[in-house]
Amino acid sequence: MTTLNSNATEQQSPTFGFWVWLMAPERRGALLITPAIVLLFAMNILPLMWSFGLSFFRYRANRLNPPEFLGWDNMFRNYEKVTSSSAIWDSFQTTAIIVAGSVTLQVIIGFLLALMFAREFPFRKILLSMVLTPMMLSFVAVGVFFKFFYEPSFGLLSQAIRVFTGEPYILLGTKWGSIWGIIIADAWMWSPFVMLLVLAGLVSVPKYLYEAADIDRASWFRRFRTITFPYIKSLLLLAVLFRTIETFKLFDLVYIITEGGPGSATETLSVYVYRQGFQYFRTSDASALGYILLFVVIVLTNLYLYVVNRRSEEL
Amino acid sequence: MRFFRKKQGIGKAGAGWSLFAGVVSLIYFFPVLWIILTAFKTRTDTLSIPPKFIFTPTFDNFIAVFYRSAASSQDAASTGFELYFFNSIFIAGTSVILALIIGTLASYGFSRHPLRGNDTYLFVILTTRMLPPIIAIIPIFLMFRLSGLSGTYIGIILLYTAFNLPFSIWMIKSFFDEISTDVEDAARMDGSRDRGVFFKICLPQVKAGLAATAVFALILTWNEFLFALLLTGTDTRTVPVQMARTLGGEIGVDWGLLAAIVTIFLIPVFAVTYMLQNHLLRGVTFGTVKK
Amino acid sequence: MSFISKTMSAVAAGGIALSALTGMSMSSALAKDIVIKMAAPDWGPTRLMQDMATKQYKAKSGNNVTLEIDFIPWPSFYERVAASLSSGEKKYQMVVSDSQWLGAFIEGGHFAKLNTYIDADPELQALMKDLHPALIKAYSTYPTGADAYYGFPQMPDSYPTWYRKDLFCNAKEQAAYKAKYSRTLPCTYDDWKDVDWKDWKNIGSFFVRAKGEALGDGVAENDFYGTAYQAGKGYDFSSCQINSFIWQWGGDIWDEKNEPTGQAEGVVNSPSNVEAFQAYLDILPNSPPIWKTGQMDIFAVQDQFMQGNVAAVIDWAGLADPVLDASKSKVHDKVAFALNPGKRRADGSINRVAQIGGQPFVLTTWNDDEVMKEALDIVKWFLSTPVQKQFVEGGFLSGLQSVMAWDGHDAARPWNRAHREVIGELKDFWRIPEFFELLTQQQQEFDKAITGQISAKEALDNIAEFQQSLLEDAGRIK
Repeated sequence: MTTLNSNATEQQSPTFGFWVWLMAPERRGALLITPAIVLLFAMNILPLMWSFGLSFFRYRANRLNPPEFLGWDNMFRNYEKVTSSSAIWDSFQTTAIIVAGSVTLQVIIGFLLALMFAREFPFRKILLSMVLTPMMLSFVAVGVFFKFFYEPSFGLLSQAIRVFTGEPYILLGTKWGSIWGIIIADAWMWSPFVMLLVLAGLVSVPKYLYEAADIDRASWFRRFRTITFPYIKSLLLLAVLFRTIETFKLFDLVYIITEGGPGSATETLSVYVYRQGFQYFRTSDASALGYILLFVVIVLTNLYLYVVNRRSEEL
Repeated sequence: MRFFRKKQGIGKAGAGWSLFAGVVSLIYFFPVLWIILTAFKTRTDTLSIPPKFIFTPTFDNFIAVFYRSAASSQDAASTGFELYFFNSIFIAGTSVILALIIGTLASYGFSRHPLRGNDTYLFVILTTRMLPPIIAIIPIFLMFRLSGLSGTYIGIILLYTAFNLPFSIWMIKSFFDEISTDVEDAARMDGSRDRGVFFKICLPQVKAGLAATAVFALILTWNEFLFALLLTGTDTRTVPVQMARTLGGEIGVDWGLLAAIVTIFLIPVFAVTYMLQNHLLRGVTFGTVKK
Repeated sequence: MSFISKTMSAVAAGGIALSALTGMSMSSALAKDIVIKMAAPDWGPTRLMQDMATKQYKAKSGNNVTLEIDFIPWPSFYERVAASLSSGEKKYQMVVSDSQWLGAFIEGGHFAKLNTYIDADPELQALMKDLHPALIKAYSTYPTGADAYYGFPQMPDSYPTWYRKDLFCNAKEQAAYKAKYSRTLPCTYDDWKDVDWKDWKNIGSFFVRAKGEALGDGVAENDFYGTAYQAGKGYDFSSCQINSFIWQWGGDIWDEKNEPTGQAEGVVNSPSNVEAFQAYLDILPNSPPIWKTGQMDIFAVQDQFMQGNVAAVIDWAGLADPVLDASKSKVHDKVAFALNPGKRRADGSINRVAQIGGQPFVLTTWNDDEVMKEALDIVKWFLSTPVQKQFVEGGFLSGLQSVMAWDGHDAARPWNRAHREVIGELKDFWRIPEFFELLTQQQQEFDKAITGQISAKEALDNIAEFQQSLLEDAGRIK
């Protein structure tokens, strides 16, 4: 808040020279973002740099031996070791499938729900709150209860299907069943997030635009593309970006619902990194792996932002 | 088809739409409803085949949230849930408010006073959210221990604030970006000071963004488990850590107890979201949209 | 006598001078406040230990010693302990540890070797003598069987058979079983002593009933299943049962005894191991359908049994108490316990070598002498006969032979006899620092075989290949 005192202090005595310098308009931007940068640096960037450094060392956090530098000649050995394992490519694939499936579903469901709520009707407020609850739950709760819903003897899903087939339904017995089980739980939990962002865009579309479109007898799709979409575009972009990043890191749901099984069919990257870092205590390998992941995500994000920006220039 | 067409976009709808939305919402809400029902069931009812929709409710699970039956003696010991509940509210509340303040300032800066390399800064901020937290956990743990932040409120609050900043900044910035600067410029012409412009003109226009950001930040912080497990002490532990005790011990998942904790724990966020809804849905821009 | 000598040695002369000056009574001036913090999973055995310590423990040294257990939820226990130890937090003076973690944390320099303390203390020597040798081997020695001691049993555990006596002792079922297999359906504890895996498999398929079919004197309310044991991918769940099969078939989980000249290839995937694993897999289809997901872990087995869906299971004694609880278990009045089944030897006797369960507690290396002494005094107090008897009466198990020999032991809980009789046959996993990698990969391959993705042989071949290269990298085999 201090930044906003600028004008008040400007009239005061020259003893506030530093203050005046600090508050000069050309420093406004830097000043405003400083608290955020400082905090992020201390709490996030610093530890990440620490583990970046470790990725060039030989180190296991559960041993007392201090980290040992790999030497300039083979400083990338951890990176080589990590990428040469076939398990990591399998996890990449699994993760990509889950991210693609879940984010697509979230956008579709979120969009439909937003359309439903984008008007005034009785009980709207309470119904909207109800639809928002899934994302208010903890991953632990969602994971545990979805696993329970999928359980072949006691689970609701199996029992519901049994009514028709007479056989218990075993969703988590196969690779694809397990992937679906995870996607459904994650999409259920986070579609409301997409909905809320889309809804915020939808309700801000000025009514007169639709009235004008009605007069023009514009088609549903045309109206959507020319009137509605521009208003939700940037928020939808944000929703997809954040959901992709978060789903990419998905850990608790997978670990609770399938533990990466059956076999290693749903071993996602996060689970893989967790095992390397926390169960095997290959601390430096896990760090190297983390930075490979970061690189991939950065490239993908940039690609995404580039495509989105290109598109918006075209429109 | 006609029906849908007519009502497309913002507008009013009647009881028919309420009924439709009610059915859809209820289906969507069903898993939550099942969790809440489970909180009132005995273990045998929870695991009953076929599932029980009608049953005699029990409050034992809610009692067990606050008191544990001691292993040896009859005296029921407190589980300390009240403290954990307070901790959750205090830690999440403080860090959300901090993230909002710091995030609003930063996003205003990014939006209105862009720096050289503005986008790079923004992107770097985003990258801090990209890594699985497991990578950073040992360094953070070490850092907390060395700085004496381990087990303190201030440590976990600062950490959560930092967690919420990337999203807050990106979100609020996108709202600032949407609103036209015409009004601000006009106000400045009329002699309003920057502070006045910021508080009287900018902030009210991004209220919806602030509300949405607050909700998301709150939800993320409220349910965070891993760092809470590792970085809080006995006195600063939060409810999600406490929740883990229902996942296995002498018995597998204690669904009833977990459901009871989840239900109690849902109330504050639900209430906050409900109260913020008017802001959430007021719309982004009041028609002053930039091109 | 011992009181005075202990206090004298523990206290600096200055303290005495000070107490003389201030005129305070000697004992109160000398009493130091010492808190022994122990990391422990949050469950009955540790809760009871805390409870007894708070109410009963008074340090003999005259210091004001309190045991303060940091209760950590079971599912996150490993993470919390590992993070604390590996970050050098030095927060805990004692730690409850799963036995297979010992190697990792001993070689990491976190768990203290106790030989010098034991050598200097006749009370500790007597205690070690009274502890069951199988438990000392699994909970205390590292490397396994070596003359280096680290831990003491906090809660020893084994897995007996839990069975429905209402069904197994039912006349109709007995007659039908006899007619079908010309063997006796085991009803009493002694009947179960003669049950081998072939019988277990027969029992399993015998009791599989669809909803509405006759079961006992009535009909099955739901689909009913014969047997169940651990077949879960999580943590160590399937290995704990499969290891037993492998040992009983005469194989080994690797050639640990011959380290560093032992091998994994050819040992882990030996023909007898493949046969043993196949025998394990062949019995699974008699289980409730959850086995097909590879998630039939110790808790799933427990729940299926408590809800009355299965006739007999093999599961940890440490999880048996809730079965007797009418509010949680539908079979609380119908359950009995017996020895776990085994493989029949040529002479007709049964080999029931099995995986050991339970946890030791250990002391940490950063304790100074005074804290170490107080912590060991707590160990001696907790493992004293009267305290262990209370512990057993509270529903948990003791590692002391004197307590196991006591009349009250078997009477305290219905599974105690089976535990006592099998304890000499229990063995442990590898406990080397690489255990988690070995375990996770093995669990994954077992899970693939359980869910039908690969055959028993393929699974063991994959495991052997992985272990060979991992153990070679670690320098454990050549």
